[in-house]
Amino acid sequence: MNIVVDHIQKKFGETPIIKDLSFQVESGQVLGLLGPNGAGKTTTLRMILDILRPDDGSITFEGKKINHHIRNTIGYLPEERGIYQKYSVLDTLMYFGRLKNLSKRKSHVEAVRLLDRFGMIEYLDVPVSHLSKGWQQKLQFLITIIHDPEIIILDEPFWGLDPLNQEMLRKQILQFKEKGKVVLLSTHQLNEAEALCDYFVMIDEGEVVLKGKLEEIRRDFQENMVIIETEENLEDLKKIPQIQKIVVENRRAILHIDKNVSLAPVLQRIVSTVNITKLEVNKPSLNDVFLETIRQRRTEAK
Amino acid sequence: MKQLWVIISWEFFRHFKSRSFLIATFISPLIFSLIVLIPSFFLSDAGTQVPRIIGCVELDSTRICEKIKARLDDLFFFTNQAPSVHLVKIEGDTTDYLRAQFKKVARLKSELDSLENVYNTIKERRKYIYQKPKTRTREKLLRQTYEELLQARESRDMTLLEYEKQKARVDSAWHDALIRKADELLRTQTLEGYILVNREDFEAGRVEFHSLLPAGFLQIEPLRHALQVAVVEERLNKEGIRVDKIQEWLHPVEIREIQLQGENKQEFDFMVNYLGPIILVLFLFISIFTSSGFLFNGVLKEKTNRVIEILLSSVSTLQLMAGKILALGFLGILQILIWFGLTALLIGLQVLNIHQINFLTLQNAGLFLLYFVLGYLYFASIFVGVGSLFSSEEDAHHLNQFMRLLSIFPILLAILVLEIPNSLIVRLLSFIPPLTPTFMILRTPFGNPPEIDYLISTAIMVVSIVINIFFAARLFKIGSLLYGKKPTFREIFKLAFSRL
Repeated sequence: MNIVVDHIQKKFGETPIIKDLSFQVESGQVLGLLGPNGAGKTTTLRMILDILRPDDGSITFEGKKINHHIRNTIGYLPEERGIYQKYSVLDTLMYFGRLKNLSKRKSHVEAVRLLDRFGMIEYLDVPVSHLSKGWQQKLQFLITIIHDPEIIILDEPFWGLDPLNQEMLRKQILQFKEKGKVVLLSTHQLNEAEALCDYFVMIDEGEVVLKGKLEEIRRDFQENMVIIETEENLEDLKKIPQIQKIVVENRRAILHIDKNVSLAPVLQRIVSTVNITKLEVNKPSLNDVFLETIRQRRTEAK
Repeated sequence: MKQLWVIISWEFFRHFKSRSFLIATFISPLIFSLIVLIPSFFLSDAGTQVPRIIGCVELDSTRICEKIKARLDDLFFFTNQAPSVHLVKIEGDTTDYLRAQFKKVARLKSELDSLENVYNTIKERRKYIYQKPKTRTREKLLRQTYEELLQARESRDMTLLEYEKQKARVDSAWHDALIRKADELLRTQTLEGYILVNREDFEAGRVEFHSLLPAGFLQIEPLRHALQVAVVEERLNKEGIRVDKIQEWLHPVEIREIQLQGENKQEFDFMVNYLGPIILVLFLFISIFTSSGFLFNGVLKEKTNRVIEILLSSVSTLQLMAGKILALGFLGILQILIWFGLTALLIGLQVLNIHQINFLTLQNAGLFLLYFVLGYLYFASIFVGVGSLFSSEEDAHHLNQFMRLLSIFPILLAILVLEIPNSLIVRLLSFIPPLTPTFMILRTPFGNPPEIDYLISTAIMVVSIVINIFFAARLFKIGSLLYGKKPTFREIFKLAFSRL
């Protein structure tokens, strides 16, 4: 199974939400869809789910447009979560299972199996409103996977979970990957994304600003970022032509160095120019990449 | 299709098992029916078989009360011939003081009578003296009797003055005592009211009615009728017309009301055939708004607790909307069938007399179901479309109340239908979609509308429903994902016509 998102665009009224977005995700891959608030992540997921239709471009599953059968192979955990409060845990799970085309019997069997596996079997007949928030969130996750979907779309899945449930979810996502399922993960928690995703698509204002595997992204940033700590004036550093940009944060300065030059002579020149207490060739975290990329875009936009 | 049935059965059973459905099916109709029927039972004599007791205070002993009572007994009675209004003459209690005063007045009266006699005797004597030939004795006698006459007249006039003064005082005290007693009986609720009459006013056709409650509420119509007859009888009697004939002429006219029902004619019972269809319309209203209300709240709740997003990842918006509308439509039909069943049970137990209630026919039951389905689909599509636009129950609640108020409007206009069921204005109003179900259900038993009206109203409803569902689906599709923001009317309008 693969999902191909091909140059999709979406406007709400006159406001463009998704300007041009393309990416692809394969079986056994966890794709991280990253971006600041309002970047268009949820709209993208809703278009993949056919809740919204793109104005232009296409989304295909194994080369086919979404249909009734494909829809039943998708499990979706939305960011805005809720659940019927009055009904029992079993009834709720069964209903959503049946909406995914499971027979009554099969949905019952699967619901009981899942509740047992996730340690919720004692809550079988309990109304959802009697469950704690954590248990309710676990139940929402079970609703997402009751039909053993091929494609799992998780929108901010770690939001509001306690550390125990976060660990459970992490393990589950890795298991999905092992089982060869397609996982699409939209999150703000970049450390989680870093640990789980194989491929990243970072979007901002409806456009892809960065995409690739983690190592590729890191490499791009690693080669041109040096962090120094000094109490001296940094004006002299601006005279070094290989330094393209200096970002000062208190005593710390991030130096962006031309990617096409060798780093060693530049480092030597930096050391000889200013008195440095600490020098670090940066191996950027996903968080750094995210922040820097967005910051760059904002600066360019200004 | 399978998922559509899953939604239908889920929505159907979750509302079927709810307390609100039980209340809407059994308790609300009962309360509505009682609200409509109880006042009419109270205001109707025939309904209760309990006679009303009215007092009669007669300010002079002219036996007017007896005459009024006789007319009331003739004119108003229950099926068992017992009078429905009892007129009780109020007799005053006489105190020692009042008795002494009565004696004093009686003494003055006899004194006055004797003085009158003396005066008349002197006058007679003077007449006799006049007739004698003129002599010196005659002149002397005339002068002497003249002195006596003046004296007698003065004494008589003085006594008359005293008598009138005393009599007025005693009469007033007597009337006060009578009224005091009647008021006391009113206050202890022994009497519902009393009439106050005297000969002069009675002949002029003026009578006072005293009561604790407003006279209109007590329905003094029978009393007014009996008084009218008694006064006319009195006046005719004064003109010298034979009393036995008067009785015959004034015998009330009995009007039997017969209503043409298609090919048949049937006797019209106000209680059953006037209030019945109103109750029927209230039932229709309960049914439509129970189902639409469930739908509205359901959509709103799913939106506020965000379940809708999971639902929409499994089924299309159209499937979800259709599933909800159909499920609650079936629930409404079930509710109506329960009412049909209860009606059949009441007929079986002979609590309801099917021959007396003209509109209880299978054809009308079918029409009731038809207009329920049309009315429900019409309002449900509006409720579901508009309900999906709101994110907070509070905002939506105001709109829901406004919608309900708007939908009560046809019931307020129902009086028009009751007056002239097939007039042009009523026919035109029946073709305006929000009014159609109510108006057609009301017109059916009253006016027996022409077939073409059923066809036109159904066609108009079907077209309106299609248009409503088209826009509701568009609003639902966008509205169900719209969180946090309260849309303006302009935005709603734009959404309805925008590309999804």
